[in-house]
Amino acid sequence: MLNAKPTWKSTLKTLLYLAPLLLITAVFTIWPLLNAFLMSVYTKYNYFTDHVGAIGWNNFAYLWHDPLFHLACRNTLLLALVATPLTVALSLLIAYGLNRIHHLARFFRTIYFLPFVTSTIAVGLVWNWIFRLDGGLLNRILGWFGYSAIDWLNDPHYALAALMVVCVWQGLGFNILLFLASLNHIDQRYTAAARLDGANAWQRFTNVTWPLLLPMTILIIVNTALTNFKVFDQVYALFHGSAGPGNADLTLLYYLYQKFYVENQYAVAAASGVIFFLLIGGVTLLTYGYFRHRRRQMGGRL
Amino acid sequence: MQVTLRDIKLAYDHQPATLNHFSAQLPDGQLTALLGPSGSGKSTVLNLLAGLLTPDAGQIYFDQTEVTHLASRQRHIGMVFQDYALYPHLTVRDNIAFPLKMAHVRKAARYQRVAELAQLVQMTDQLAKFPRQLSGGQQQRVAIARALAKRPDLLLLDEPLSSLDTTLREDLREGIHRIQRATGVTTVLVTHDQDDALQIADQIMILADGRLQQVGTGTALYRHPHNLTVAQSIGRPQLNTCAVTALPTAWRQVLPLEYYQQATTVGIRSEALHLETPTDPHTVAGTISRQIQLGRDHQTTLHTATLRLVSTALPATLQTAVSIGLDPTGCLLFAADGRCIWAGDAHA
Amino acid sequence: MNRHPWLTLFWGLVLTIGAVLTLMPFVWMILTSLQPAATTLSIPTSWFPRSLNWVNYLNIWRAAPFAQYCLNSLLVTLTTTLGQLLTSILAAFALTHLRFYGRRLLFGLLLILMLIPGELLIIPNFITLAQLHWINTYAALIVPWLASVLMVITLHQAFLSQPKTLYYAARLDGASDWQYLWHILVPTNWPVITAVTLLQVIGSWNAFMWPLIVTNDDARRTLPVGLMAFTTEQGTNYPLLMAATVCVIFPLILLYLALQKYLVSNILSSHSKG
Repeated sequence: MLNAKPTWKSTLKTLLYLAPLLLITAVFTIWPLLNAFLMSVYTKYNYFTDHVGAIGWNNFAYLWHDPLFHLACRNTLLLALVATPLTVALSLLIAYGLNRIHHLARFFRTIYFLPFVTSTIAVGLVWNWIFRLDGGLLNRILGWFGYSAIDWLNDPHYALAALMVVCVWQGLGFNILLFLASLNHIDQRYTAAARLDGANAWQRFTNVTWPLLLPMTILIIVNTALTNFKVFDQVYALFHGSAGPGNADLTLLYYLYQKFYVENQYAVAAASGVIFFLLIGGVTLLTYGYFRHRRRQMGGRL
Repeated sequence: MQVTLRDIKLAYDHQPATLNHFSAQLPDGQLTALLGPSGSGKSTVLNLLAGLLTPDAGQIYFDQTEVTHLASRQRHIGMVFQDYALYPHLTVRDNIAFPLKMAHVRKAARYQRVAELAQLVQMTDQLAKFPRQLSGGQQQRVAIARALAKRPDLLLLDEPLSSLDTTLREDLREGIHRIQRATGVTTVLVTHDQDDALQIADQIMILADGRLQQVGTGTALYRHPHNLTVAQSIGRPQLNTCAVTALPTAWRQVLPLEYYQQATTVGIRSEALHLETPTDPHTVAGTISRQIQLGRDHQTTLHTATLRLVSTALPATLQTAVSIGLDPTGCLLFAADGRCIWAGDAHA
Repeated sequence: MNRHPWLTLFWGLVLTIGAVLTLMPFVWMILTSLQPAATTLSIPTSWFPRSLNWVNYLNIWRAAPFAQYCLNSLLVTLTTTLGQLLTSILAAFALTHLRFYGRRLLFGLLLILMLIPGELLIIPNFITLAQLHWINTYAALIVPWLASVLMVITLHQAFLSQPKTLYYAARLDGASDWQYLWHILVPTNWPVITAVTLLQVIGSWNAFMWPLIVTNDDARRTLPVGLMAFTTEQGTNYPLLMAATVCVIFPLILLYLALQKYLVSNILSSHSKG
């Protein structure tokens, strides 16, 4: 058993254990993965008869010239660029605070994690009600301070900001937990030593905690950015099944959904899916490359 | 059940063979100890018997049946692992009953047998506990009870005492001996500690460098070692050794000349070095550098002009300069290949 | 440790403000749901309900087939979670304990597949289901989700760290691979299994895009999709709507509060090496 080599017999036996996973994965992951790329170059495609009229780059050319697609790209990138740093900074702040206090830390942690388990659609509807022009919570609070009400959901200037708030709110919990994991790990090992060396709180943070926290921070930034690239449910709930005023909140995934499900332009939708994939894949590869580089620098210790 | 290993060869991936042409026989109903340093191949032999390793060549027989390629679970053996491998989510009772459950023994009969075994290993009052609530010694006893549950033909013990402190060790060593006697099961004990082997084994197999060096009782191994390795692994303090050329001339006289000339190494047991007696002309001057009391005995470190020796036959003394005599019955002569060509005791 | 009292106060303040903002939508949701049942056009204007009004919670069951949505969500969540557990446990066991040709290849493939965004697969999967005539069936909601690469990888790590002697001991005690898996390996890895189960339940219960696409009537809609349909019908009857969202959100919050130690400790331990 310890030195057993695989044989055809043992492979066959193992296959029984692997079969359910392999079957489902082959049919619903690997096959559609290939198909997703193939479909993006189909033109004149009839999905029901599976008849392909021609093959070419027309779908990508369509996207290249489609102002709506440009808008979707712009919105997605803007959302990621603003919401990601905000989420990461706030979660680091809160995690650091949770790490400092002793009482109620568990209680606070429980609260901060609640949005993670909450249905995006359901809470999106709650946010819709919070952002509402008349009677909404936010405008009532603004009213207290003497500001005039803002039509968050119908004014194209504010609609994307509203979406960002929802994304940040929901993204905090998981990141706080990840930062906490890192901080606990660092705390036990290094800051006690730094304290003995006479470093004050700020020096400890900048010289010990932060450099050790950096790899996790990069992981969290990437993870949050990827999550923000994939925003769909929030838009759907916040604007009751539309992409916001004048498509102000049209994200890449919402564009894909619209082309696919509403307009039935499957091949164009598939092409936008491929662009979406390239974006995500590119970011993932970059991160992977960074961590490989870093691992090599640190002599394999990571 | 008698166990036979015949001409076993085994090599791990990309490494020199761990075992080569290894043959051995374990007599029925006896406790055999496999003694050797780490890397000697003793755990490999145990894993071969357990069916956890399959040899590259050679055969293993349980009585007349060949089991070389038989799966572990069909070999009908019990094993106690070094870390005891108790199932953490099961109570002591269910741990002991697990092999019986796998054998589809009915629940009432299972618990009946658990009660017997608990009695045997003296754990009757701990049956409802979980492994993490037990001490190391208690865990070991549970592991033995579990290994014995299905009345195996062969019991394998893999360093069962290594993680326990000394007092507990003595206790549990006796426990293993008692249980083995009570059940009469053929037992193999793997250990790197000669005390374990000497105190409870019926026969001891000494392994080194993947080879079976010698098999025998503790007495036989001590008095008639086949080679230097065996002589060095049995006896505490360890055998004094020196090159024949370094041996003082006075002491050479007490050794037989014809063997002495063929030998390259001399082994001197610590009890063979004693204070000079009036009748003994062959003494060597030495100085005592250190003397320590080990319970009843004294262990003395001596220096002669050329040698550093340990003796247990010197009385407590405040002298530092002494005259030392050598008793030939405690001497061994080894050839260049390590073979023992003369053992004082045997030829005296 | 002697920390500066002002510093403690500062962090206490930051955390309290954060917690209040985090809880704000939940509180607002509950308060609104207890407002008197409004007509579809009037917006509640008071902050707190004058008296506790449970009538909205009764009305949602009459206003939409919520019982059906709940049933569908329960069915889909239970079957996909159990199915994923089964396929993942079997596969992770095979990858960690059995010898077979192509093990490294398969593991590498799984690692790559883990990085593929699921959204890319929605269109081709929809077409597959359409060709199978599975649109608007339970099978469409369940079958594509019966395997989870992420769960396999998580369990793979957990099973690897199990002492191998337990496996050998079980084999010598007469257990087959199958018996070892279910009698020893699964029970001893209970905390991780609870954590991945909980994560999957959260994912399935809250899933939206896929159920939205493959269902088209009330008989098959899950809660989030049903909730959106309900919104379209009810417009701005916020008290009623909020009562419905409470019903969608709270089962999971209760489950999380009950099992949070498993979930949190799993996330903390699986990422602490970062």
